Amino acid sequence: MIELNTEYSDSRANHEPGRQHRDRLRFSFPEVHKDARFDLEFQRTLRIPDDDSIHYLPPGLGNFPLRHVDDFATRLPARWREHGGVMMPMYQAEAMWINFTGPTRYPFLVKIAAGKINAVTGEPWRDAPNRDPQDYVVVSEQPWLDGFCVKKGEIRQFVAAPLGSGYSVEEQVTGQAEHGGLQIIAYPMKAEEWEKVLEEQRRERERIGIRYRKAKNLMPMMECLADPIMGLAQGGRMKQSIHDDPYDFSVWDLRHSSRCFVHITNSVAWRAITGEAPPTLPPTAAQYTAAGLPWFDYYSEAPAVEGSGILDGVKSVAQMDKERAAAQGGGMLPENESTGEVRVVKLGTPPGGPRKVREF
Amino acid sequence: MNAFGKHIRQKRESLQRDGRPLSVRKLAGLIEVEPSYLSKVERGETPPPSEGKIALLAAELGEDPDVLLAMAGKVSSDLQEVIRKRPALFGELIRQLKDAPEHAVLRLVREVRDGDW
Repeated sequence: MIELNTEYSDSRANHEPGRQHRDRLRFSFPEVHKDARFDLEFQRTLRIPDDDSIHYLPPGLGNFPLRHVDDFATRLPARWREHGGVMMPMYQAEAMWINFTGPTRYPFLVKIAAGKINAVTGEPWRDAPNRDPQDYVVVSEQPWLDGFCVKKGEIRQFVAAPLGSGYSVEEQVTGQAEHGGLQIIAYPMKAEEWEKVLEEQRRERERIGIRYRKAKNLMPMMECLADPIMGLAQGGRMKQSIHDDPYDFSVWDLRHSSRCFVHITNSVAWRAITGEAPPTLPPTAAQYTAAGLPWFDYYSEAPAVEGSGILDGVKSVAQMDKERAAAQGGGMLPENESTGEVRVVKLGTPPGGPRKVREF
Repeated sequence: MNAFGKHIRQKRESLQRDGRPLSVRKLAGLIEVEPSYLSKVERGETPPPSEGKIALLAAELGEDPDVLLAMAGKVSSDLQEVIRKRPALFGELIRQLKDAPEHAVLRLVREVRDGDW
């Protein structure tokens, strides 16, 4: 089951600037286990420079708002209604990352695609997961996902581009501008396997003399306008690993799954469809860095999956812009100059402790 | 005059004031009952009509059929069927939700719909 939790960090009216959305998708499988739930948030962020440097992790600037497609059905393209799911607004060339969080550390196998192209392997969408090559992330091992897995330990940032403009990964891989948005499916761990994990944790705590507490306390998780449909293209390079599945593939409960189509609309259309103001534009990476605000580096010793040759072969937005500028004299991206030296906050274990919050 | 009949009359007269010709005779014809019967319903001189006629009234007056049925002291047959299938479960659910604020109830029932990709 997937619920859309729509919350705000303050009580100010809908159109006032500064309102912080806390909208999230809550995946839960009460029929499998009471602990089987996690939240998925879409975080606004800086677009990192697409200069072929490998950048640190940019901050979270608050959640994108999410709305049920069904609530605005008469104002949306027919195929959005067919897809169901939710929708969110993004500015052209705005970046986004996905945050996985939750009150328990119940493991999930989560497949994510953009325009029905798998973000880990570059393969076409299918509901069923594949272990070799791994075409999914394991939550909560994977605290977040910032983009397409192009190399081992390296991703290219999710950046919004109008579907049909030729920039999106979907269009470059398939030659078609058909789906856009994001597609997500989650499978829980089998309940009996989770009980084994809990038992091992209990034994471990007893062994090292820690008084029993509940797992959740012990280990907190860290435009209907002309063309409103957005897809996701590849932005700058970022240091981030897709962690290799640490479990045997048999632990996953493939009889239970929940999936969601997340439509992305441009911010102008969002206002026309919902009557709500979209979030303000985030600062540029250079502005953010010049203000002395931190970037983040996540330490993990977990092995990483290999990058996708398909995704590594996709041109980034800046690469396409350069080619188009040379041929036609213009591209889609506003300036996004390099940042120079940045202040980095270490996250993860052991150097930075358990903190995994990418906020400042 | 009972609440149901009064509400029907007020709604019909409101639509008339807005320019829709909706006399008792006209509305009775639309829902296929005698004008004298509908007049008695509006005055509360006879009990509210059947579920089927209430659904037709709701459609003509632009009202929610469940709300009109509730005003008539009835529950739609499809809801009755739902409850009859799992009486203990839905009995408990409804009792637990009776004092819950609307947003809490909506949160409970708003599952994200998955469609055909």
